[in-house]
This record gives sequence, structure tokens and C-alpha cells, in this order.
Amino acid sequence: MEIAISNILFAFFSAMVVLPIIYMLITSNIIRAAFALVISLLGLAAIYVLLNAELMAVVQILIYAGGIIVLLLFGIMLTRRISEEGVTTEHRNLLLSGVIACLLMGALTWFILESGLQWTGDPVAIDQVERVGISFMTDYLLGFELIAFILLVALVGASYLAKRSGNI
Amino acid sequence: MSAIPLTYYLILSAFLLCSGLLMVLIKKNAIFVLLGIELMLNAANLNLVAFSKFNPNLDGQIFAIFSVVVAAAEAAIALAILLNIYKSFNSSDLDDLNTMEY
Repeated sequence: MEIAISNILFAFFSAMVVLPIIYMLITSNIIRAAFALVISLLGLAAIYVLLNAELMAVVQILIYAGGIIVLLLFGIMLTRRISEEGVTTEHRNLLLSGVIACLLMGALTWFILESGLQWTGDPVAIDQVERVGISFMTDYLLGFELIAFILLVALVGASYLAKRSGNI
Repeated sequence: MSAIPLTYYLILSAFLLCSGLLMVLIKKNAIFVLLGIELMLNAANLNLVAFSKFNPNLDGQIFAIFSVVVAAAEAAIALAILLNIYKSFNSSDLDDLNTMEY
């Protein structure tokens, strides 16, 4: 019975990821696309929970659905005079791009199904937040400090660049 | 115990990658291109987390968190550059950005 429930949940959250993305591809309204991306990223967080990765799900909700989407909406509002230009855009190169993307999707699906990968080993224990924290402070300490420094430099540089552009 | 095969997650990730690529290719607006790049980064994260489900070292999740941080820095820098481009060219359509002149 538990197997059936997890399958139903996986199907539901996969639809929650896939359908907004298809809407994003066909719509030409940028703001609607950004909010569709929020739904899709929340569905992806639920998929991470199904994969026993609770920490990654929380990080996904906090940083993607909370931070990056707000940044993108600011970008839309600041680079468009909404009352004059509107928030719509156009498509181009539809045929060639569609053929390329469909070929890549078909090739990847074929390779994945052909490889027949299976789960191996034992499932991860429940205390994974603690273990990720210990890994960050021991094995990955250099990478952790580097990524913190990169984030600091990127945010200072971004604020400098945005300030130089002045009021638009 | 979960009975969902690993291949389902990988196919979902492949769909995310291909739709992100399609979005980068067909949209005229630079913000849409950024949305497509975010989708492709999410495809990589989903692969890393799926492969680390049964790995007691949790290496995949740690790399996925690194990748999320890099994606946040990338979005901030890209939007700041986009503001400058909009100030210079008065447009955020990629087709209008056809000169190096400032």
C-alpha cells in the first residue's frame, strides 16, 4: 500500500514540475512565466523530500522560490516600462530549436532507459542535516569557505554594477 | 521503502534540461533566458540528489548545495549586468544587442 502512495505522490509532484514548465514555454508574458517557475520549483522541492533529501528541499524553497524569484521579478520590473511596453515578448527560431531539444530529449531518454540503472546500497539514515554539517566543517572546509567568499564578492559586485547604472 | 525507479528521476531531470535549453533558444527576452538557465541548473541538482539517495557519504547533496549558491551568485550578477544593458540600449531584447559600442 505504501508503494502505491509513493507512486501517486511522485506522479502528482512530477506533474506539478512539468506542467508549469510547458506553460512557460508557450506563454509570452514574462511575469506569468516567473510565477509558473515558482510552482515548478516548489514541486521540485517536494521531489527532493521523496528522495529523502530534506535539507536540499529546504534550501530549494529558501533560495530558489524565495530569493532568486524575487530577484528575477525585480529584474523584470526594472527593465520594462510596464505601462508602455507591456511584459510580453516574442518567440523566434521555433522549428530548429524544437527539433534540437526534442532530439536531445529523445537521446537522453533512450540512454537512461537503456542503461537500466538501479538503486544500490542502503538508504541514507535520518540524521543527514548533522552529517552534512559535519562534512562541511571537515572534508569540504576549503570549498565551503571558497563558496562563501565567492557569494560575498558576487553580491558586492552586483550592487556596484547596479548602482553604476543609476536610476533608469 | 521507495519503489520508484531511479530512471524516473533521471527522465524528469532530462526534461528539465531540454525545456531549459528550448527556453534559452526560442525566447527573445533576456530574462526568459535567465529562467531557462535556472531550469538547467535545477536539472543538474536533481541528478546529484537522486544519485546520492543511497550514498551514506551525502556527497551529492553537498555538491548540489554548492551549485545552488553558485546559481544565486550568477542570478545576482546577471541581473545587474542586465540593468546596465537596459540603460545603454533601452531594451532587454537580445536581438537589439548587436553592437559593442557603449
